[in-house]
Amino acid sequence: MKKIYKKHSTLLFICAAVIASTFSACKNYLDVQPQGQITQEQIANDPIQAKNLVTGIYNVFYIGGFEPDIDSFQFVIMTDIASDDADKGSEPLDYGDALQIDNLTTSSTNGVVNNVWTGHYQGIARANQALDKLDAAQFDAATKNALIGEAKFLRAYFYFNLVRLYGGVPLLDKLPLASEANQDKYQTRATVDEIYKFIIADLDFAAANLPDKGNTDVGRATKTAAQALEAKVYLYMKDYQKAYDLSNAVITSGKYSLVNDYSLIWRQKAVNGDGGNNNNESIFEIQAGINKSCTAGINLYTVSQGPRAGGKRGWADLGFGFNNPSQSLLNEYEPNDVRQAATVLTIQPNGTVLFDGFRIPSRDSVQNDRYSYKAYHSRTAEDNCGGNTDRLPKQVRILRYADILLINAEAAIQIGNPGAASTALTAVRARAKLAPVAPTLLNVWHERRVEMAEEHDRFFDIIRQDAVQPGRAAAAFAAHGKTWVPRAALFPIPQTQIDLSGGRLKQNPGY
Amino acid sequence: MKRISTHLGLMLLFFFFVNTAIAQNVAVKGKVTDAATGESLIGVSVGEKGTANGVQTDVNGTYSISVPANATLTFSYIGYSAQALPVNGQTTLNVQLRAEANELKQVVVIGYGTQRKRDVTGSVASVNGDQLAKQPVQTPTQALQGKVAGVQVLSSGQPNAAPILRIRGTGSVLAGANPLYVVDGVLTDDIRNINNADIVSLDVLKDASAAIYGVRGANGVVIITTKKGKSGPAVVSYDANVGFREIASQIQLANRQQYVDYLNVASPGKIATDDKSPLTIPGTTNWADVVSRKGFYTNHNISVAGGGDKSTYFISANYYDEDGVIKTNNFQRFSLRANNDVKISDKLRFSDQLSLTRGAERAVDIGAIYGNVYRAAPIIPSIVNGLYGNTSAWGNVGNPLLQLDKANNFTLNNRVQGNVAVDYNPVKWLTFHSAFNLDARFNNQKNYGYLFNNDGSTFTVGGGNQRQPNSTLFVQNDNSYQYQWDNTVTFDRTFNQHHFTILGGIVTEKARSNFINGSRIDVPADPNQWFLDLGNPDLNAVDKNNGSLFTRQSFIGRVNYDYAGKYLVTGSIRRDGSSKFSQKYATFYTVGAGWVISEEDFIKGGIFDQLKLRGSYGELGNDNIDPSLFIVTGLPYQPYYFNNGTLANGTIIQDIKNTNLKWETTRQLDIGLDFAFLNSRLSGEVDYYNKKVNNALTYVTLPGILGDPDNRYITNAASYQNKGIEFALRWRDNINEHLSYNVGANISYNKNTITGLNGGQALNAGGANSQTITRTDNGQPIASYYVLNAIGVFQNQAEVDAAPTYDVGEAKHVGGLKYADTNGDGKVDANDRIYAGSYQPKYFGGFNFGVNYYSFDLSADFYGNWGNKIYNGKKNSRGNANDNIEASYANSRFTPTNPSSTNPDVISQSTPPSTYFIESGAFLRLNNLTLGYTVPTNMLKRTGISKFRVYLTSQNLFTAKRYSGSSPELFNTDILTSGIDATNYPVTRTFAFGVNVQF
Repeated sequence: MKKIYKKHSTLLFICAAVIASTFSACKNYLDVQPQGQITQEQIANDPIQAKNLVTGIYNVFYIGGFEPDIDSFQFVIMTDIASDDADKGSEPLDYGDALQIDNLTTSSTNGVVNNVWTGHYQGIARANQALDKLDAAQFDAATKNALIGEAKFLRAYFYFNLVRLYGGVPLLDKLPLASEANQDKYQTRATVDEIYKFIIADLDFAAANLPDKGNTDVGRATKTAAQALEAKVYLYMKDYQKAYDLSNAVITSGKYSLVNDYSLIWRQKAVNGDGGNNNNESIFEIQAGINKSCTAGINLYTVSQGPRAGGKRGWADLGFGFNNPSQSLLNEYEPNDVRQAATVLTIQPNGTVLFDGFRIPSRDSVQNDRYSYKAYHSRTAEDNCGGNTDRLPKQVRILRYADILLINAEAAIQIGNPGAASTALTAVRARAKLAPVAPTLLNVWHERRVEMAEEHDRFFDIIRQDAVQPGRAAAAFAAHGKTWVPRAALFPIPQTQIDLSGGRLKQNPGY
Repeated sequence: MKRISTHLGLMLLFFFFVNTAIAQNVAVKGKVTDAATGESLIGVSVGEKGTANGVQTDVNGTYSISVPANATLTFSYIGYSAQALPVNGQTTLNVQLRAEANELKQVVVIGYGTQRKRDVTGSVASVNGDQLAKQPVQTPTQALQGKVAGVQVLSSGQPNAAPILRIRGTGSVLAGANPLYVVDGVLTDDIRNINNADIVSLDVLKDASAAIYGVRGANGVVIITTKKGKSGPAVVSYDANVGFREIASQIQLANRQQYVDYLNVASPGKIATDDKSPLTIPGTTNWADVVSRKGFYTNHNISVAGGGDKSTYFISANYYDEDGVIKTNNFQRFSLRANNDVKISDKLRFSDQLSLTRGAERAVDIGAIYGNVYRAAPIIPSIVNGLYGNTSAWGNVGNPLLQLDKANNFTLNNRVQGNVAVDYNPVKWLTFHSAFNLDARFNNQKNYGYLFNNDGSTFTVGGGNQRQPNSTLFVQNDNSYQYQWDNTVTFDRTFNQHHFTILGGIVTEKARSNFINGSRIDVPADPNQWFLDLGNPDLNAVDKNNGSLFTRQSFIGRVNYDYAGKYLVTGSIRRDGSSKFSQKYATFYTVGAGWVISEEDFIKGGIFDQLKLRGSYGELGNDNIDPSLFIVTGLPYQPYYFNNGTLANGTIIQDIKNTNLKWETTRQLDIGLDFAFLNSRLSGEVDYYNKKVNNALTYVTLPGILGDPDNRYITNAASYQNKGIEFALRWRDNINEHLSYNVGANISYNKNTITGLNGGQALNAGGANSQTITRTDNGQPIASYYVLNAIGVFQNQAEVDAAPTYDVGEAKHVGGLKYADTNGDGKVDANDRIYAGSYQPKYFGGFNFGVNYYSFDLSADFYGNWGNKIYNGKKNSRGNANDNIEASYANSRFTPTNPSSTNPDVISQSTPPSTYFIESGAFLRLNNLTLGYTVPTNMLKRTGISKFRVYLTSQNLFTAKRYSGSSPELFNTDILTSGIDATNYPVTRTFAFGVNVQF
């Protein structure tokens, strides 16, 4: 008996040892590294990744569609459809949020208004994230400052859109820590002046540190791009001298010239060396391409504005049919202005053949009378990603030389230099096969409208002009068949964002 | 690996401590019969008391055992009172066993051990395997519907869909509200591989007694035990049933004339301006009929069970084949099981429970198909001479039949699940148990989309936007394995009136999964060429590969104590470590007490055969979230292009994460009463519970300024409460030896409330047109409807003019819905929305009865719920003015000649969600009706067959409901939209014929 107990106690000991060894051997058992993920720490310690973070900011241009948006469909709604240049399009009741904006009845709960807000802050967050990691990255000073310059250029562009759409907005100059995010500093609106001051500081740095066009990758921000954007910013700030000086710097840099054939500006491929992507006129443009996963284009930019089947249908259509050039825009074109046909895709009763040979069958097979030709991307003559049309590689031209010439002309008039204004204005008109006109403010504004139609600039321009010559907006919308309401000069701060700030974000007047 | 081999080596040391006993024996024979009916009892365990020596009765109820002349024989049989008889030198001992009516004496499985039901202090429900296997359904949980109080089961008509289980209400929104499943000790989330015929019992831990499963027990635990062999001759069983399923309640859509009439109002220009050629095609297409069919199914089981003195075996094979009621949908399952038990010595036992399953499924995308079925125009034919009707050319949705025909989504699942275990009893009261559990899955998926164009090669007329200009192929291989090593010590000893069972142990777990997939376009249509290599390598070519890994380590302990079978105390603790969180360890516990009042002298011998009061309280957890949710990660290779076509790789870091994320914690109180009286003919239990979930994971919307892509993150910021009462009652009686019957009923009441959002925000969820339909907010049940209050239809212009202004997306007009200006500000807008109930039932339950009369048996199970609401989302899902409508609405809608006061003239995309779309979810269903006939044993003599039963069964024979849609039982795994009837797979009705044969 005693022996048995002894045997058992041995056993107990062995079993205890088994369990104890399980325990001790498993001390680090729970320290499991995440699988298949790159952590923030790994990125922070890798200079190549710091550089890739800057490329990652450019990638934000591809967001959009019905989600957060920077330069895609919803930005088009807030800049073109909102203006007198375009009607909403598509079927009459399709997309209520867009209809509100078209009718100047935008409510603070409008989804488009919120998505464009959040989209731009996504861009700003990416820029701030890159700036944060670049700060510690080991590069030579020139490389590092150029990368910082790119991030600041892009951040300035995002704020420039925000300040024009919403007025003063929360100013994030860095990544707030989780513990800081709720501070008043981030949850309240900075003033319009503070935002502009911040934009100018970013662009000053960018202009001073970015390489010249030709000394960097095509598509990256350049010194002249920073100057061009800054000239435009100064125009909005009514600092005409600086707008003139900077636009002049871009013009005299000699790096840009007008494309001969206006219609070729928005083509992917140059024709006899004229036009195409990144053409001589392009100062800053969103780059796109065909990667294997078809993710390298702006989501829904082209397809949302493509011709839509209606009535008889019976054909494979090209899009959702939004953003139709308005009658008011057609009325603005002078006879023989080549820009009208290049801008407005008009559906003829018996069909329209596009530049690539595609034939839209007939008016009664299509939903709307007109579509934007500048947003069109050929399914046959230009690069496509299989049948995937959501992210067609359309490269949206953000800043082009004609815009700078017209900024230069307007600034020149304002500072009393009609000679310079005339030169710039005449250059733009000559390309459109039109005779010179007197360098007056109204002529420049007319020229801006037809030159820049459907390029997501018009709404901002009306508001800007109205601030220079009150009544411009009311007149423009009256001609467009709509009644101007002063509150529409700024879009509402999205109600969701006001709620999330606990009411600290204050609404714009009139909403 | 080194560690494991060391441990196995240590375990092998046990083999050296093997004792055997040798004695002088006599042979005892006899027959065991049922005391009431005189029927032979097959498989009764006959054992020598105090030893492991034992046999089982054969098909004639006879046994033969060799024992010492002075031994005592024990006779035990499930469902019967055990007996012990001294041999006293006799060589024949015939025994009559009395059926055990007292359910409290049942043994229940409580996790890492078993307990007599009478000693349990928690709320544990058990269901016999027979109860599950008799129903013609794929999964045991589906058969559980209506059987257990407090357990709500939602099943789908879709083959191979895992039913949704809610034990005592919805306790989580984001971490999963399904219970933990434990199959023979293997912890899993998916039991679709289990053959119902292999199950001996299913136990549900409903209260804090699930705390023995710690961080995984918060939603309750379902423990499945599979069959084992019994010593004795081999028993071969063959069970089969074949039958068909049909749609229980087909949706009725508007016909041609109703549709055209409606279109004239809803889309006035349409008929006038559009191409009228479709209108010249005669006939009505019933799209719901076009895509559906009767689905045949067949289920075959064969098993062999038996064993000798030292070992037992149970081997089974199952083949299950089911056609879905939607065309092309099919599922086949083949499974094998081997459960073996080997007594190496009196002290050492080795066992295994292993199953191998192969499932093959051709799936359908029911959301896309039904989304179009509801909307497709009935004037367009489905298919004519091999050419499809072109619905999209009519400005309508795509042709749903074409959608079905042009997709082939095929998945093959292989799964190995089971364990090997060693049990060592150095002394009778001490058991060392070591089990190595494995659950490994190997899946292989191929989705092919055929090329077709919107021209005359596919359609009767060209045009429209339904086309697939490139064929597509998606291939995925994924595998996962999870191992879990349980090491426990159980001490079970009685000192006088004190009985202790003490459990201690360590559980180590590791789960790894990997996938690799790719997609290509332009792959040829021949299935022999469905490989990535045959697709276009340069366009739309995507390859992905990733994986996950997590570990858990847990220390468990439990004490069960009872004094004289009267006073019961239970305590358990589990210290859980999980690699999913930065703060790794947490402790979960339960304490329970019971008082068996019927054992007290002052009541003993009274009317109560059993009366037990019990209570438990404890804390449980839920860690069922993605392992990487708390780690800030970057996304590399975000494309951008420079230099006119050179790909550049961007990196982004933008997802905001809560780096301090932790598990959800549930505290649960349970108080229950178990009772049995009238000679245990009437028995039942009542339970009250209160379950509070804290730190529940919820989405918190982030300010846009932080730049998070979806502007939200997951954090612990909500608390929920479920409290309720469960009541179950059973009556069984034998009128005479030919007629016996039983009746049972259970009902549960549950109240679900969001008690706090601790800085979190109300969660909104929507339906078809991305409008908010449900809102999860303080003081309301999870996913309550939050909609405008529709109070009628405008009958005339005067009513319209008098009504408040509308800012709801829809213009007020004669025939339009009238909404209440709830806040009285003179304007109807989003601020006038009201809470209008939720899909969670207030009451649910089932009742069943069974009758045995001579050789016939008849049983019926009912299931129902009350007090819940359904949002008729498909009625509200008109995305386009050309969409079809339901027939009932077409007949009752407002028209100038038929001015309805309830149904509006038109339901369009701009019709806001309102109470108009909310209907009662109450229903009562005859879940199963079975009529069986067992061929009397005397007729089977000389056939070698010991049992032969044939039966007819029907699942879901009828449903009494108030809901106007097809089924009030909505199968929707997304908790926030669970009550929105949008695109559910149709609920089916089954008719089947089956046989049970035993040799």
